[in-house]
Amino acid sequence: MGMGMGSDPMERLVKLASESAVVIFSVSSCCMCHAVKRLFCGMGVNPAVYELDQDPRGKELERALMRLLGNSQAVPVVFIGGKLIGSMDRVMASHINGTLVPLLKEAGALWL
Amino acid sequence: MFPSWPMRYRQTPGSSKSGGESTDSGSALNTISSKTENQFEPDSPISKKASSSYHQAFDQQNLQQQQQQQEMASDPSRTGTSLNQSAPIVKPLQEKKRASTSEKQLDAKTLRRLAQNREAAKKSRLRKKAYVQQLESSRIKLTQLEQELQRARSQGLLLGSSGGGVGNISSGAVICDMEYARWLEDDERHMSELRTGLHSNLSDTDLRLMVNTYLSHYDEIFRLKGMAAKFDVFHLLTGMWTSPAERCFLWMGGFRPSELIKILISQLDPLTEQQLMGICSLQHSSQQAEEALSQGLEQLQQSLIDTVAGGPAIDGMQQMAIALSKLANLEGFVRQADNLRQQTLHQLPRILTVRQAARCFLVIGEYYGRLRALSSLWASRPRGRLMSDEQPCQTTTELQMVQPSQSHFAHF
Repeated sequence: MGMGMGSDPMERLVKLASESAVVIFSVSSCCMCHAVKRLFCGMGVNPAVYELDQDPRGKELERALMRLLGNSQAVPVVFIGGKLIGSMDRVMASHINGTLVPLLKEAGALWL
Repeated sequence: MFPSWPMRYRQTPGSSKSGGESTDSGSALNTISSKTENQFEPDSPISKKASSSYHQAFDQQNLQQQQQQQEMASDPSRTGTSLNQSAPIVKPLQEKKRASTSEKQLDAKTLRRLAQNREAAKKSRLRKKAYVQQLESSRIKLTQLEQELQRARSQGLLLGSSGGGVGNISSGAVICDMEYARWLEDDERHMSELRTGLHSNLSDTDLRLMVNTYLSHYDEIFRLKGMAAKFDVFHLLTGMWTSPAERCFLWMGGFRPSELIKILISQLDPLTEQQLMGICSLQHSSQQAEEALSQGLEQLQQSLIDTVAGGPAIDGMQQMAIALSKLANLEGFVRQADNLRQQTLHQLPRILTVRQAARCFLVIGEYYGRLRALSSLWASRPRGRLMSDEQPCQTTTELQMVQPSQSHFAHF
């Protein structure tokens, strides 16, 4: 878990998001976050998970995520290959329309 | 068979009911109990009669036995009739015994009485069973009527409070059901258009227009469900908005996309290699997403259980507040499940030809239509012959039993 040095939360988000192939921002008590983690694990992907409730500056990150997404639900949010995918609904939509797996492969998170 | 045997014991002085020719399952029990009622009690329900009056009957018979012997002498015609028709039940040996001493007469009578009591008990059990079944079906009808009443109320057709009253159905749920009923009517229309379009060999462009319209039609139901989830998530999750047969196979407030795809695969024309791969991949992705959502919901349930079962450390109000905030997450899961359903349906025309997609939607619509029809048929199926409405009370039963009524009990 990368600890920021007092940088802008948005910058920190971007930095964390690019450190792993699949990054999930989560809250440990959130059940939808649990669902998205299970989805990736079920696909054989090993995502990097940041539990914002366990981060001393987690609140800032949550607010930044809300701004980024434009909604009131900060978590779960998924980045793949450093790019923002979105919340659970976007993740599922991209899985159903077949774009998720190619993205994962491209980011090196999934091999045939 | 059972017929006039009871009549022997039916003769009590001063009885106003002696005219009632109960030749059958009206049976000893009926006649005696009705006698009892006439003399001692006001009307009581069949089931009470069945159990309690059996005991009365037993006592009655003890009393009546002595009276019988007197009356047999004074009313030879009746006696003759009784004797003739009691043959199947009484053993021939005992007939001869009757000619001998009064002591042996008693034995024969005791045996007959016991057999008669057995018969009566059996009949009363059967009647009770029938009554209970009748109650069950009445209960179902009552629930249906309550729901209709609620719906009518919410439409402003009737005065009175709506929501939370009869049947505990919320106004959000009522509106949801109404909108769904409207959607189903639209669905019928769209489906018949699709059917016509497929059979009349429309151009692909025109057919695609129809398919897109049908997709918008589906988008509409998901929009409705989204709103309903805000007002009454339990109504959606418990499947009260659908028919019982659909409810039985419910997943997270609606259909399970992977199951639907399975149905489609079996119903579609031969697919190309690419199409088959596309469909199977869709099924696979859907299964993974369903699994993930199910696990998330399971965790929510566990968390809720922990809260509600919580120990003395948490005070009541706080406990409820925490539980409420957890329940709020249910809406999110139903929405994601609906999102999954919507995405799956939208993906179909991308993988398949437009004709195949049109066929898919027809198959889906017809499948659920049949499930709804199945639910109606199931609810209105007959549950046993004794439940006819023409036999609401004892007396009517007896009068009707004059006809050969062995068939009433034949299938028990």
